[in-house]
Amino acid sequence: MQYSQKVLDHFMKPHNLGKLDKSNAEATEGSPACGDQVSIWLNVNEETQLIEDISFLSYGCASNIATASIITDMAKGKTIKEAKAISWKEAAAELDGLPPVKMHCSVLAVDTLRKAIKNYELAHHLIKAEKGALNKEIVLAELAKILYPKVGEDLISLKMVKYAGVAEGGKVIIDVEIPKFDKFRENVADEIREHIEKLPGVKDITINM
Amino acid sequence: MKRIYLNNCITSQPAPEVVDAMLPYFKEKFHFPENFIQPGTERRREIDEFKKIVADSINAIPEAVHFTNSGTDANNLAIKGYISANADKGQHIICSIVDYPDILTNAAYFEESGFEVSYLGCDGDGFINLEELKQELRSDTILVMTTLANHTVGTLQDITEIKKIIDESRSEAALFVDACQGYGRVPIDVVDMNVDMLTISAHKIHGPQGVGALYIKPGIAVAPTRHGINRIDPLATGTISIANIAGFAKAVELAFTNFKENVDYIRELTRYLYLSIERRIPYTMLNGAICEFRAPHNLNVSFDFIEGEAIMMMLDQYGISVATGSACFSEGLQANYVMMAMERNHEQSHSSMKFTLSRYNTREEIDYVVDKLEEVVKELRRRSPLYDDFISKNNI
Repeated sequence: MQYSQKVLDHFMKPHNLGKLDKSNAEATEGSPACGDQVSIWLNVNEETQLIEDISFLSYGCASNIATASIITDMAKGKTIKEAKAISWKEAAAELDGLPPVKMHCSVLAVDTLRKAIKNYELAHHLIKAEKGALNKEIVLAELAKILYPKVGEDLISLKMVKYAGVAEGGKVIIDVEIPKFDKFRENVADEIREHIEKLPGVKDITINM
Repeated sequence: MKRIYLNNCITSQPAPEVVDAMLPYFKEKFHFPENFIQPGTERRREIDEFKKIVADSINAIPEAVHFTNSGTDANNLAIKGYISANADKGQHIICSIVDYPDILTNAAYFEESGFEVSYLGCDGDGFINLEELKQELRSDTILVMTTLANHTVGTLQDITEIKKIIDESRSEAALFVDACQGYGRVPIDVVDMNVDMLTISAHKIHGPQGVGALYIKPGIAVAPTRHGINRIDPLATGTISIANIAGFAKAVELAFTNFKENVDYIRELTRYLYLSIERRIPYTMLNGAICEFRAPHNLNVSFDFIEGEAIMMMLDQYGISVATGSACFSEGLQANYVMMAMERNHEQSHSSMKFTLSRYNTREEIDYVVDKLEEVVKELRRRSPLYDDFISKNNI
């Protein structure tokens, strides 16, 4: 398993690194405990909605830094609407691919960008804060952000989630199909817990494997 | 500049003398060791000589040493072979949460098949809890397994003390020691240590990959784990590579001829690396025991605010091979279990770097490594939101 030359180039000499002096939105996603965290700053033109400047800081591995670097390149000069539409697959493709076990870095970079845009939209009253109740759709949407590192595809596309439901009192129950001796078993459970925990209204999570 | 290799705990460069010693066995000395036929008898005699060299290095009698196809093979033969021969005496085994994966995966295998396993905890330096060992030993405990030098942080377990505790308990458990990581770096005397089984491996001491050995104290019953044709040793069925055994013996000769000088040289170089890091790079933490309580070739240091795979990849770009405990580099994307057992936090585990030296490393190489490491750490911290946070909170 090897990184593409493009990943190495962005890792060794990342673009758009550092905090912006002038920014009107920012977001941080990931956590040091998981070994990856990305912060993105935006400077959006309030009339045209164009991302005029963007930058990042990253705590993470080589592909974490490279995906953060490429996502800032891709978003720069785009409208927030266009930037929101960039997918993690497109970001990975822009780097000439990522090893499956590293695909989650691309998800994190895209997530951080989208969160920063959302923060901008909230601050500028372009959207309203969601306060909808916790439901199955929200849980499924979150599970679609978690990749199975062996193949680098998400749990929903791979049909690994056999059941997801929300019971009374914010109890989330998820059944995942994963082989008993799979080396990513613990990783998948940790990821699910971490993603679902942060959803508003979640009080308890049961993961059956 | 040639690549600087600091991954000697994973595998080490074969000594040129080792390769030379092996070559005849790929050419004119290819025969199978057997009786009566001239070349066969010669090969057999040579194997006996090689075995004596290896046995001498741990103060064992040659008959107690069995060649295997790797250190892992030797570990499996010891654990599975001993348990299979002694299961009638009890169904309880003991190991620790910081043992080598060979021990832990075997323990899990036996747990799955109905054995009871006690996993001993450890302290912040990776020393296993001996009080816990005293409490866990029972009359039906048949085996205690431990690792001489920890593969992650180099911490050396006190084997003599462990054996003493077993002997003073009501248990008749045998003691098995995986010494692959410590062999050739710390003195091993199986008689003094009074161990029942001990394993070593050639490729960690500049020998070839694909050969290890198991020492079994006379009187200890170990059943074969691989059944098949038996020409040399009932515990080592099938054909065994004489070339590898010849290389193993040569590696042992080289490591043990000037043992103290060799080890002192590596220890001093490792110390120099550590002191240079300490002096030049702030916010670091040593992992594992200090000085004589750790394997002399192992240095494990965590670098705050940054992640180990990135450090490793950047050093790789500069031609330096090192290892990391980061989840991003692990097989299952999990934090390093040895670091977590020593109660490091996730960040300290993800930023832990392992440097393992050999007698082929030089002071000039270490200077270059520290130059590059200083540069890499500075650069990655410049990119890190955690460092940025720390700087602004502390007004640095």
